[in-house]
Amino acid sequence: MKKILLIVVIIALAGGLYGWFFVYNKPHTNFENSKPDFKLSAQQLFNDFSGGKGESYNGKVIEINGTAQKADISDTLVTLVFVFNEGMFGDEGIRCLFIPKFYNRLKAITYPAPVTLKGFCAGYNDTDVILEHCSLIKN
Amino acid sequence: MKLITLTTVLFLFAFQAEAQRYITKTGRITFFSDGPLEKIEAVNNGVNSALDSQSGMFVFKVLMKSFVFEKALMQEHFNENYVESDKYPLATFKGKVKNIKDIDFTKPGIYDAEVEGDLTIHGKTNHVATTGTFTIEGSDVLGKSLFTIKLADYNIKIPSIVEGKIAEEILITTTIDLKPLKK
Repeated sequence: MKKILLIVVIIALAGGLYGWFFVYNKPHTNFENSKPDFKLSAQQLFNDFSGGKGESYNGKVIEINGTAQKADISDTLVTLVFVFNEGMFGDEGIRCLFIPKFYNRLKAITYPAPVTLKGFCAGYNDTDVILEHCSLIKN
Repeated sequence: MKLITLTTVLFLFAFQAEAQRYITKTGRITFFSDGPLEKIEAVNNGVNSALDSQSGMFVFKVLMKSFVFEKALMQEHFNENYVESDKYPLATFKGKVKNIKDIDFTKPGIYDAEVEGDLTIHGKTNHVATTGTFTIEGSDVLGKSLFTIKLADYNIKIPSIVEGKIAEEILITTTIDLKPLKK
């Protein structure tokens, strides 16, 4: 009887620990290792969203290629900007927020520059398509 | 002479018109709720905002998937079960600064602002009013505001398993560093 009780307690503990580490405290997705769900040109991605046909990209990992016009560089972050339009918020296009490890590589590039990158698509805010946790594939 | 006057007037008008709109694409919104079961905190550093210093028009565009939580599981629940960000990816505020004439955009200082307009979250729109401040520093305008919203007002349902354990009101803090829109 005691043996059965002990086994039940051990299983419950193991289940609890598993839940704590792998469910409650599971790590954020590493998008650098994620396979892209879509591969297309930057222009095509922007056209699809601005034409109201971008819904299927929301929440997906997307690989894009095209000419990045500029990089917004802060102390720790680089945002690559593809510009396709002008509107009430100024430039409109795609804004790609990079993970910190690409900081120096992106800073060394002279813009405009052709690039291929992938990132998590957070959506379209009526002016820009936002890609987050981006990593550089080719420049 | 007339031509010079006309050119000067047009130049001044063009300059003034350009300086009227202030924008940011890197505004910050945080939200915080303190329930008996869980404290929930998240931050979004990619908020779009525009302010027209003449008309007082004030706009926010916030992508729900850009909110970052400390715990991945919480972020997942927020997107899937609460705000349903696949269905409603964007939250917006469209309104105006009612006392825009009291703010002198050419004079550094801290000005109180009364803001009201329509806030849309989770596909539901409510008319809201709040107060905040605009700090004029050189050509920049730093906007700050703090207010609460009720989840129920935006049809955001708390799952019955955690009902009463998660706060029904959320504290929202906005910090936006607006810069003049250059053309």
